[in-house]
Amino acid sequence: HRWLIPTEKTPSRPCPQSSLLHRPLEKVKPEHLALLVKTEWQLSYVTPLYQFRHTQLKTYARQLSAFIAAEKQQGLAVEVGGLQNTFKVSFSVLQGLAETNDDPETVLIQVQSKPMFARQEDPPKTVWSGWLSCINGNPEYLQSLPKDFTCLPLFCSKGAEGLSSLVKSWLQRTFDCCFGPLDINQTTLQWLAALWTNCHMETNIQKLKMIWTLPVVPPLQVTYTVDSDDALELWRSTRESSAEKSRGAEDEVCIDFSEVTRFMQGLMSHFYRHFRVDLSAGELNQVSSALGSAKLNGKIKISSSRYLISIFSLLTECALLKMPI
Amino acid sequence: MDNLAKHLLQRLMRRIPASMLKSTLDKWGRLTAEKRKSLDFTQSKWTITQELVALYVTENPNQGMWHTFQLLDPEDDAHSVELMQFKEQFKSHLSELKRNVSVKIKKHTDEAVWIRVAWGDGLSRPNHLKATYVVHYLQTPYVFVNALSSKNKPLLLQALTLSTKHQQIKAANLSGQKLTALRDLLMRQYQQVFPTKYPSPLPEKLRIEKVQAEASASRHRMAGETFGDGMLPALQSAFFQLETKFKDPTNEAMTQRDEPFICSVKFSSSNLLESLRHCASSGIASTPVTPLLSSIPLKGRNYFVITDNVPTA
Repeated sequence: HRWLIPTEKTPSRPCPQSSLLHRPLEKVKPEHLALLVKTEWQLSYVTPLYQFRHTQLKTYARQLSAFIAAEKQQGLAVEVGGLQNTFKVSFSVLQGLAETNDDPETVLIQVQSKPMFARQEDPPKTVWSGWLSCINGNPEYLQSLPKDFTCLPLFCSKGAEGLSSLVKSWLQRTFDCCFGPLDINQTTLQWLAALWTNCHMETNIQKLKMIWTLPVVPPLQVTYTVDSDDALELWRSTRESSAEKSRGAEDEVCIDFSEVTRFMQGLMSHFYRHFRVDLSAGELNQVSSALGSAKLNGKIKISSSRYLISIFSLLTECALLKMPI
Repeated sequence: MDNLAKHLLQRLMRRIPASMLKSTLDKWGRLTAEKRKSLDFTQSKWTITQELVALYVTENPNQGMWHTFQLLDPEDDAHSVELMQFKEQFKSHLSELKRNVSVKIKKHTDEAVWIRVAWGDGLSRPNHLKATYVVHYLQTPYVFVNALSSKNKPLLLQALTLSTKHQQIKAANLSGQKLTALRDLLMRQYQQVFPTKYPSPLPEKLRIEKVQAEASASRHRMAGETFGDGMLPALQSAFFQLETKFKDPTNEAMTQRDEPFICSVKFSSSNLLESLRHCASSGIASTPVTPLLSSIPLKGRNYFVITDNVPTA
């Protein structure tokens, strides 16, 4: 593997101090957006790809098809359909998701399956999809990379685990990169809770639902669902209380994590007042609203394209932080 | 038994030739000899299928969703109602309220009276595959009901009230999958054992450790007093609808609001009472345990609406 040796140029990771709120998505085709929303994606991080070319996508599709076919020949279980299925791979660019000049364009990989005895007019079924992206990646870091490296640190996949392994395996050997699971940690889940609540100012999020587990025997799950209007009022009250903010606090596009902490503490103290149970003794597992859901085990679903960029900017940042180098 | 399983059973039964039915069920070996004897193979396959489903439900009471009702205002002779009388009265009252129902009542060895009501309408015969099941222990105020539609609910409840010689029946705010857990919670059949001693604290000179051990012993004691000791009924969830004001001294803006902060909390576990007991004994829940949580075992309910006027509903 070609590991990146940290030099003076490669900056140390910054801590996420703020998160950008929604940006308009005019540049992305609606049919591309439709592929990304309302679907639960499993998240991974991937280290920069060596000598990846956006111009070679047809070649990559051919190579990956051949790789999957070869692995199947060797009897590797692919879990999808019968042995007679043929797999067809396509690579495409989802233009417009890259936010800054430093972000490489997002690449979508799809694997379609057609049973051998299917009729000609039967459309092939997409059995696996995945996409590599970098949305609002840290510009200092991206600029510090040697020229031959393309940084698309966020990998989202959906479909049979066997195919996920094969795709990752091919990407690893072709571009000298490596993958790892991107768990959505407590901090990120709390960010999302605050972010989605903030979005209620523009879009009805219906409810803010949070699921905790407490470490008792047997384990106790607590599902705490808050009315969206009340959650928003609590969120606004925690933002206004920061003395540094001006009157136009709500127009600010940046959120400080200390505000997120105060918001969560408010929710937990209301809970404590009634049940005298300290939720911070447990672990936040899942946050959801009408805008989507996020789970600790690295699964995310975005239900509205409006906030896609903000969420995936946050996840890009998480992926960059999680990388081993 | 879910609809898919019932559907599969029906199809299987149709395909097995009638003459081979008895021997097939014998070979299958899942029914006891006693149960197999209770099946009348001279009946139609459809009838036998329905009886198999009924057998399954009574053998697996911890599936499906049971709702609890409480009988109120007993008449003077309510405590002397016995089985034969109850059976006759229930069948008679129900058929007066609705034609075309089929009722089967049987008392089990644990004194539970199981009632199976198959509902028909003007066009079709009563369908035992979609029957409502009722479990009642005579001379107790509780009735457990499974698979009752809102259409038939008032009829069934009225028949139950009249035949047990009560004047009213109301929802008891206790629901769950495990009938035995609901029953045990209400009947206080689970052990409420108060152990007489706890692990003795450490040597006198280690004061801090002694204080901690005492605090721990105190937590364990209070946890046991609130939820019970030993095995607890396997209640699986509790739901609280909260409509109380937000009060937090560090947040003036929210505390000054007049409107309540609307939210709901659901606790779930494979054994909720044991989880809550462990929360109390481990310190995750402060002791003494809040009335909201202690109401679950004390009042035998798992659905609560909490407002500022009624702190423990």
